[in-house]
Amino acid sequence: MSKPRRYAKSHEWARLEDDGTVTVGISAYAIEALTDLVFMQLPDIGTPVTAGESFGEIESVKAVSDLYAPVSGEVVGVNAELPGKLETLGDDPYGSGWVIRIHPTDPAQLEQLLDQAAYDALVGSESH
Amino acid sequence: MSRPEPVAAAAGLPETGRAGLVVWRDPPAAGPWNMAADEALARAAECRGEVLMRLYGWEPDTVSLGSFQPFADIGRLPELAGWPIVRRPSGGGAIVHGTDLTYCLALPATHAWGRRPEDLYAAVHTAFVEELSHRGVAAAMVNAELATSVPDDGFFCFNRRAFGDVVIPAAVAGAVAGGCKVLGSAQRRLAGVVLQHGSLLLRRHSLLSGAGSHAGLSDIAAGLGGESSEVVAGWLRRLADQLGGPLTEMSGLSWDGNDPELKRRAGRYATDDWLRRR
Repeated sequence: MSKPRRYAKSHEWARLEDDGTVTVGISAYAIEALTDLVFMQLPDIGTPVTAGESFGEIESVKAVSDLYAPVSGEVVGVNAELPGKLETLGDDPYGSGWVIRIHPTDPAQLEQLLDQAAYDALVGSESH
Repeated sequence: MSRPEPVAAAAGLPETGRAGLVVWRDPPAAGPWNMAADEALARAAECRGEVLMRLYGWEPDTVSLGSFQPFADIGRLPELAGWPIVRRPSGGGAIVHGTDLTYCLALPATHAWGRRPEDLYAAVHTAFVEELSHRGVAAAMVNAELATSVPDDGFFCFNRRAFGDVVIPAAVAGAVAGGCKVLGSAQRRLAGVVLQHGSLLLRRHSLLSGAGSHAGLSDIAAGLGGESSEVVAGWLRRLADQLGGPLTEMSGLSWDGNDPELKRRAGRYATDDWLRRR
């Protein structure tokens, strides 16, 4: 059974792994809304990140969007293949479309994120 | 290309619960200052919870790059040697500023038009197409079919044809593939606010030829040559109408020239780190 995901209001998802790291990606809803992705800029391993602050950027045909860290910590993994295969974000946003892994300074920050039901409600409100 | 539907054009847009449009008409400024002023406008829109817009020119004439355009690409274009260059926070292709009217529109990310990129394009561009139609110029927005049928030269915004761009069809503008693009926009989407940049090309720049030379509104629709300010005024009124509130044109500047934060932001846009970030 897959581990539960939490979500930031800015549409990044976060999942606590067995090794204590947090995998971060972009929700399917956000990927669909961006459409026609053309470029992505990601941080280097070792970069410190702060919850709620930008850690990267993604560009679609006509819009550049910041990516926000759902938890604070240090980047310990980057999906380096992603910028060259942006279609992966849409094909498998919660699997091979992961973006970065963070070693969190405070794993309890995950509890402050939205659970699946709350995120579904957020998406529902934005869709109407 | 089908003629737009002026009356129903706004009907497909999300309902907006916020009223009105607040507009400043700022004097021409240098590229880094303009970008910093746009960023400040975006933060103000977020704080005030309002739809804010500023219209401006450039002094000196400047080439702006999209947020991720490779800086080295400009070296392939000798006609741009020596031009001031600035990098925008927004996406899209390069624009030669000097004979255009640039706009920056900012609204809270929670605004009904801020949730999906295409909604804000549609709102701003539909209002412009309606105003041109009202004046007898058959402009239209690029549809999905045209957006993929015209080659993308990869550098200049006005050579691209992306979904929603405003073009004057070839039958009116002459034999230009995909028609002449006169208004293009691109966004920067932040956590709390959406900033949309756009350029309304008023006339062809006399110092450029080749790929960077594009006909402007007054070149194509000669009858509008002396009326561009009225076209813009009508465009703003229509946009405010779509928002469901008044158009408030502010006197004075959108920015305070003594604001240290604005100066800091302008300094950042002038750095090589930003300009050559890619």
